[in-house]
Amino acid sequence: MSAFIVKRLGFAVITLWAVLTLVFFIVRVVPGDPAQVVLGDQATADAIAAMRVRLGLDRPLVLQYAEFLFGALRGDWGISLVTGRPVLVEVMDVLPWTLELTVASLFIGAIIGIPLGVWAAVNRNRIPDYVTRLASLLGLSFPAFVSGILLLILFAIQLRWFPVISAQAEGVGGWLRALALPAFNLGLIMAAYITRVTRSAMLEVLSEDFVRTARAKGVPWRVVVWRHALRNALIPVITIVGLYLGVLIGNSVLTEIVFNRPGLGKLIVGALNQRDYTMLQGMMVIYTLVVIVVNLLTDLAYGAADPRVKLK
Amino acid sequence: MIKRFVAAAALGGALVLGLPAGASAQQTTLRVGIASADAGVLDPHLNSSTPGRGFLQWMFNGLVRIKPGELSPEFMEPDLAERWESSQDGKTWTFHLRRGVQCHGGFGEFTAEDAVFSLNRAATRDTSTFSSDYVAFDRVEAVDRYTVRITLKNTIPSLLGAVMNYAGGFQVCKAAVEQMGNEGFRRRPIGTGPFAFAEYVPQQYGRLVANDQYFRGRPQIREVMYRFIPSDAARDLAFQSGELDMIYGRQDQTWFMRTQQLPNVRVVAMQPAEMSVIHLNMSMPPLNDIRVRQAIAHAINRDQIVQLRGPNTSVTALSVVPRGYLGHNEAAPLLPPDPARARALLAEAGHPNGITIRAIHTTLPGMMSVMEGVQAQLRRAGITLEITPVEHATFHQQIRQNLSQVVHFQAARFPVADVYLTQFFHSRSIVGTPTAVTNFSHCRVADAEIDQARGETNRERAIALWRTAQEKIVREVCAVPVYEQMQLWAYRTNLDLGYELRASLNLAPPLLETTRFTR
Repeated sequence: MSAFIVKRLGFAVITLWAVLTLVFFIVRVVPGDPAQVVLGDQATADAIAAMRVRLGLDRPLVLQYAEFLFGALRGDWGISLVTGRPVLVEVMDVLPWTLELTVASLFIGAIIGIPLGVWAAVNRNRIPDYVTRLASLLGLSFPAFVSGILLLILFAIQLRWFPVISAQAEGVGGWLRALALPAFNLGLIMAAYITRVTRSAMLEVLSEDFVRTARAKGVPWRVVVWRHALRNALIPVITIVGLYLGVLIGNSVLTEIVFNRPGLGKLIVGALNQRDYTMLQGMMVIYTLVVIVVNLLTDLAYGAADPRVKLK
Repeated sequence: MIKRFVAAAALGGALVLGLPAGASAQQTTLRVGIASADAGVLDPHLNSSTPGRGFLQWMFNGLVRIKPGELSPEFMEPDLAERWESSQDGKTWTFHLRRGVQCHGGFGEFTAEDAVFSLNRAATRDTSTFSSDYVAFDRVEAVDRYTVRITLKNTIPSLLGAVMNYAGGFQVCKAAVEQMGNEGFRRRPIGTGPFAFAEYVPQQYGRLVANDQYFRGRPQIREVMYRFIPSDAARDLAFQSGELDMIYGRQDQTWFMRTQQLPNVRVVAMQPAEMSVIHLNMSMPPLNDIRVRQAIAHAINRDQIVQLRGPNTSVTALSVVPRGYLGHNEAAPLLPPDPARARALLAEAGHPNGITIRAIHTTLPGMMSVMEGVQAQLRRAGITLEITPVEHATFHQQIRQNLSQVVHFQAARFPVADVYLTQFFHSRSIVGTPTAVTNFSHCRVADAEIDQARGETNRERAIALWRTAQEKIVREVCAVPVYEQMQLWAYRTNLDLGYELRASLNLAPPLLETTRFTR
């Protein structure tokens, strides 16, 4: 197990370096000038040139790259070109918001998606199956910003149960109220994915010999489904959850915008629009780390879900 | 059964989570929603963005100010300076400061030393976006503790514009900048305004508190929450739900009509309007032929574009300088819409089958819809406009690299004709040169008038020169002005701003010590 983790960490370092290098050069190839963004549209060409010097953008690219890498190794991600605040501080300010939203929506997705998937599988080609498949298809095809607005109109404007601005919260009650709608919005999409994967995995497992044997031995159907079949069907579900978690962090941007929550998604879109190179680089470090950690945790979870899986 | 379950769940949820408390009897916190994810760098001498200027204006003063709610420099009145005078040649200006004005955060009294420091900072390229506005400044000195003297190298059209509560004219406190450094100051801006900086949470809000030592009196609003809400829909919903008291509106007619129908809400379309202008790059064929440019001008129907944008939120452009600006020429000889005449001019110029021109254009939806309208109008005159949409930052870079034949630009500036004429139509500002600003057309026909007006001490003569400059630019068809887009804001009727909101140079309503909630 420890050899497995060391090996994965080695790969992680190489992946991180490759991503950082790519990001460093790609953001500089994209047209658009951060100095122009900082100074606004009335700035003269001279003033823009002076700002480029101040931001260090006039120096050779290789020098900038070397400084960036050494800085990253020391944990110094630089200063945002646009706001002048340390990148690490800005990222760490919003990271908890993103993690909280992601974990909450993952939880909602799992508690809705897994039972629905099982229900659909055991009722294959009957009304519950059709309804579940249709619902999950709707969940997958509904844009997050549309469902977000609909949720706000219903629950925040009509019923007044939740606030529109979900970043204003006081106390545990306030925090839950603020988190509920955005988490539900993202959770529904997650649930749609999980439902479909659970259903297909369960269908496969339910047709296997050991299920037939268990039933022949007189094991109650409920026990066969929930204890024997579901545990064996969990590997693909864990895979999709692990894969989707990384996507979810990136895709949360629309939910963050609609519900006015801070978050990594919103930060990265802002940095991209403003050509804030240092901020984009810092964000990429975080994204890459999150994806690496989630993949590692996913691999470890296989072993926990199915003892037959050996990690080498 | 289901209904009872839902009702019980709703009641339970409400009890557990706690529904919003009712509004207090006398509200003293103003909650503002702005269409942005961030306010940018919190330094009045660096930040030129709409959300940044709106926020910073509540913390800082100028030596003078335009009367709140107005736009024209004719409404200039004392701010930190209680009076001022100028020499006969207009090159020496003396400002007499109020006594006892306190900087926020215990940084002491605002004196002439602070004003000198602040104006020199605004004039320095490394610390100011607006340094080019101060090139005519020879020296700024403190005559005594409460007297500031500005000596100019040459006269400029509006010295007061450079020291008012706008852009580089915002006065910062010297001790604060020196103690915290420029970087520290940007994290905790210190001014003398009615509201003092309290907190800034990126992507969420900036919070200001009342400055009880404000020289005009204790502000009645005690706290300002300035929330960053980039989504128009989310901002509107938060306003509707009562979580915001004032919002920046989406610049379109539908928003105006819909928001106006909300109960107890006032919607204001205020100045300065951003004028939408189609600049024709005369350095590129076929636009180097005046007949082709005239054909384009005849093909564009400004009134139709105003109908497209909405008559409550926009007005037809009348000249290459917007309405309300000192020196605006409302009788500039703009060519009338006439597609037949446009076709004839094209044929005369050797293009009987029409022409194809290209525009690099921002993807911003409001501007794009106008350009698509213009594209349709041009097509009727045999002119094919190919639009290359690029993301906004890319647009700004590429149009400054002289890559576009046609540039659609929308802007508001300090309301004196000189600024607009210099930045957009003087040869010094031609893109691709070291002194470039935003002269995309390569226009140079009115340099003499613009320069002469700059040095003119007689206001009437300066105005006459600016009017002549506009006539020349319009006749040369360097650009086709299309329409002017007003700034839209909505706020609750129980919010008494303390003045009639007609305009705000900083693009957000000023908040005064008298601004209050009435119930």
